[in-house]
Amino acid sequence: MKQPTAETAPAAAGDPATAQRVESPAREAWRMFSRNVPALLGVFLLALVLLATLYGKLFYGGDPFEIVWAPYEPPLTTPSVPLGTDYLGRDIVAGLLTGGAPTLTVGASAALITMVIGISLGSLAGYYGGWVDNLLMRITEFFQVLPALLFAMVLVTLFSPSLWTIAIAIGVVSWPQTARLTRAEFLRIKELEYVTAARAIGARNRRIIWKVILPNAAPPLIVSATLTIGVAVLFEAGLSFLGLGDPNVMSWGLMIGANRDYMLDAWWPVTFPGLAIFVTVFAVSLIGDGLNDALNPKLRGR
Amino acid sequence: MTPLLEIDNLRVTFDTRHGMVTALDSVSLHLNAGETLGVVGESGCGKSITALSVMGLIPQPPGRIAGGSIRLNGEDLVGAEPARLRSLRGSDVAMIFQEPMTSLNPVLRCGDQIAEAVMLHQNVDSARASRLAVELLDRVGIPAPAQRARDYPHQLSGGMRQRVMIAMAVSCRPKVLVADEPTTALDVTVQAQIFDLLNEIQRDVGAAILLITHDMGAISEMADRVAVMYAGRVVEQGKADDVLDHAEHPYTRGLIDCIPALGRRDDTLREIPGVVPPLHLLGDGCAFASRCAHADRRCLAQKPVLTKWRHHPVACHAVEEGRI
Repeated sequence: MKQPTAETAPAAAGDPATAQRVESPAREAWRMFSRNVPALLGVFLLALVLLATLYGKLFYGGDPFEIVWAPYEPPLTTPSVPLGTDYLGRDIVAGLLTGGAPTLTVGASAALITMVIGISLGSLAGYYGGWVDNLLMRITEFFQVLPALLFAMVLVTLFSPSLWTIAIAIGVVSWPQTARLTRAEFLRIKELEYVTAARAIGARNRRIIWKVILPNAAPPLIVSATLTIGVAVLFEAGLSFLGLGDPNVMSWGLMIGANRDYMLDAWWPVTFPGLAIFVTVFAVSLIGDGLNDALNPKLRGR
Repeated sequence: MTPLLEIDNLRVTFDTRHGMVTALDSVSLHLNAGETLGVVGESGCGKSITALSVMGLIPQPPGRIAGGSIRLNGEDLVGAEPARLRSLRGSDVAMIFQEPMTSLNPVLRCGDQIAEAVMLHQNVDSARASRLAVELLDRVGIPAPAQRARDYPHQLSGGMRQRVMIAMAVSCRPKVLVADEPTTALDVTVQAQIFDLLNEIQRDVGAAILLITHDMGAISEMADRVAVMYAGRVVEQGKADDVLDHAEHPYTRGLIDCIPALGRRDDTLREIPGVVPPLHLLGDGCAFASRCAHADRRCLAQKPVLTKWRHHPVACHAVEEGRI
């Protein structure tokens, strides 16, 4: 939500008694959010993951593809490879620290693509109804009945696996749910009186869609967006697990995929990247719930 | 003098499951600059459709303006371009809604909502619009307007929210203010305050008010003239005092009798028996005939036409024939 000018409201600026009351919506949301212990835990975990991904290599060098030790070295036995080695003798800690970046990048960009396509089509369908709705919803259903993983696999194999093709493939198979959710919210909200009131002051359709309906539809969409990041991370891992990830980029999914055949003999090469994915998705979900509570003004002050 | 707003022979239809129904039929109303026209009737009489027609906000489809004209300053709104209607809405014609709880955008601060309305029609930057919003809140009698401007609608009481609505509606000094049951959702004490405010604003801005209500008390307090609607038609029309003192149509009389008088020691509240008939079941006769004590065979067969017989125009065979 933006708050362009109220800071300049004359009485509020001069009167010290009102200074506490005057608080930007972002601050208010932050206040709600910062009281939410699970959400803070989510921020903490995600910060940990991001810090390790961004700066881990400064403290722990090493090429994740390089063979540094004997294969299948168990964790906590050798100081130079603290979490052991995989089936080729590659350092797992190096893999974890390097593998976060592609996984998170693909997850975030796939979620972004999903939200952009889903919200655009869903809002147009829900707002305008009629033939626009019919056309867009038939397209949505077409994408929805395709088995997502298979379709993503086809896309990735067609356009040679790279981080971008994977992100786009995940986005293309995930948007129908967001579109349907957006449409449902628009159908509900456009009948409400404040939408008619907005029309009565002469607002255009574009303005009503973006400034009146979309902000009111935001809470479920924000939750959906964060969940989509989680799903996209899992999707990326799944594709890599099936050997469809970018083989030149070390990602958590690739680590699990490469070691899956030896899982029963050595649990650690799949477990640690699996835990990393779990913690990331969990953190993102906690943050999503926290945002939902903080951004819904009706829940404020409770 | 040509009236500011002239609704002539307006007919609005809706496509429903029961086929096409006529929500408004041959409705003719006019509103002069600076005056208040009250439109009364029960729920489902077409009052709100009249209000929405004036705003150009009839949902189309399923609704359709099937005939007639709505002229604002001589300009016909029925055939007007959507862009033209949009620029008139909010600036020349503005509307106050019935339910202040739901007619404000819950995620926008009150001040910002008013500022938006200002910016839509006036060429001012957002800082200036925000200052104007605070001034308007002050104008509609909201204490500590600078702080209330930063409140979200849910932080205000019903009466305060309706004041915010009014501030928004009058932000561009509209010529016509459509008030659709502006006090129905409010406490009685607050109702009187809102009426006072509307009267004040009217003097201030010089707006003509189209007051939609089912409350005869509101009419006597606010309106210069009154039109009584029943089942999509105007059944009686005239100066407010005249209609209240010499109500002719049995429906108008019924409405007036329904006002509970203080000190009247009846155990029961008066009521008009029956309900407004569903629009798709309207026959050839007078729509009120089924609830009317004076109905005879002619009333069931032929629709009465709005004609002046004694004091003011009324659509009733019984009045025409002198039976009441």
